Amino acid sequence: MPPVHKDVNPKQRQYEAMVRALSADLYRFAFWLSRNESVAQDLVQETFLRAWKNLDSLRDAESAKPWLITILRREHARLYERKRFDTVELDDTVPEEAAFASPERSGDAAQVRDAMLKLPDKYREPLAMQVLGGMSCDEIAAATDQQPGAVMTQLFRARQRLKDLLGGRAAAEGGRK
Amino acid sequence: MNCLEFRRRIGAEPRSRAPELLAHRDSCKDGCAAFWQRAQRFDDDLEAALVIPLPEGLVDRILLAQATGERRRQVGMRRAWLAMAASVVIAFAGVGMLWRQNDLNSLPALAVAHMPGEIEALSLTQPMTDAQVEAGFMGRATRLKGPMPNGVTYVHDCTVGPYPAVHLVTRMNDEPVVALYMPGKMDTKPGTFERDGWEGRQMPLRGGTLVVLAQRGASRGAMDAVERGWRAAIEGPAAQTIGRI
Ligand SMILES: [Zn+2]
Ligand SMILES: [Zn+2]
Repeated sequence: MPPVHKDVNPKQRQYEAMVRALSADLYRFAFWLSRNESVAQDLVQETFLRAWKNLDSLRDAESAKPWLITILRREHARLYERKRFDTVELDDTVPEEAAFASPERSGDAAQVRDAMLKLPDKYREPLAMQVLGGMSCDEIAAATDQQPGAVMTQLFRARQRLKDLLGGRAAAEGGRK
Repeated sequence: MNCLEFRRRIGAEPRSRAPELLAHRDSCKDGCAAFWQRAQRFDDDLEAALVIPLPEGLVDRILLAQATGERRRQVGMRRAWLAMAASVVIAFAGVGMLWRQNDLNSLPALAVAHMPGEIEALSLTQPMTDAQVEAGFMGRATRLKGPMPNGVTYVHDCTVGPYPAVHLVTRMNDEPVVALYMPGKMDTKPGTFERDGWEGRQMPLRGGTLVVLAQRGASRGAMDAVERGWRAAIEGPAAQTIGRI
């Protein structure tokens, strides 16, 4: 007989470790999804409660983050009662000069955050899934019910749009009206 | 793989370690290695910008909610210490405590609580150089977009509650006015407050939040001028005319 641990049980321990490891990224993802701090807090709270109830369905610790992000997106969609990614872009071609435009370094976090807030949902969401959630194109595609190619295009355009927003502001200031 | 395809894929997945991408990067003679470098730096900046400060007690609140829910569901003895700790807090303090907890984490409370540690800063009169003030903002990854206000007597990298901040004091007609700029503290509702002998106002500002504070009795004019000054410095004169007509 193994010694009896009057300690916290393994499930509880697994859960606490998961909360400690992933709540920061999950909160940040929730913020960039909802653009609202208190909504983001509620979403994270609700997501972890659901995760606790369904902890048995989590296969391995590796997949915990995409799994939580999927739960959170569902909660967010429920909150707004509208389907995310409802418009599927058919135009998959990328203009050549856009593909060759070089990403510029901005170095100004405030400016990047402002641009990110202005990004349309269909770009901001997959970008946050990739950058904060560490998800690959294929994982995002699976989570959002899309083709990987379509996600690839959204991610590409998301960055192009960010660069436009960042560059646009710089140009406006150069022109000081 | 040709250059167009490489750039298309790096533009979508800059962090990809796919062997065919790395092979093209290392063998291309048409500048794809440099393109890759720039893409990495862009994503470095993007990652850094998305890392906004966390609300205080996030982990504790999540664990408390779970423990409380558990307690309700299974009135057993297991997990008793956690669940009981939670229920004791609720039973003893009830809603009042939770409200107080929230209030203590509010922006006005955090800003005012930050003041005593640097109260001497209010009596400094030696003006800072523009370079010193700029360095203070650069330390928080913020570039000033417009001319800075006159009479800055103090600048310091601080942390206000959970929020990284630039702590500034400006003298207006010999009245010291504090400004706390918190980059990444998004989504602030504009408002004014009075608390523990301080008058203050909070407002969202480009990529962050500005709190202006002065000791009770300060003139409204001085606070207005300081608010205007920092808004123009942080957002830039262009942004101000576009946003505020
Ligand atoms: Zn090439
Ligand atoms: Zn300070």
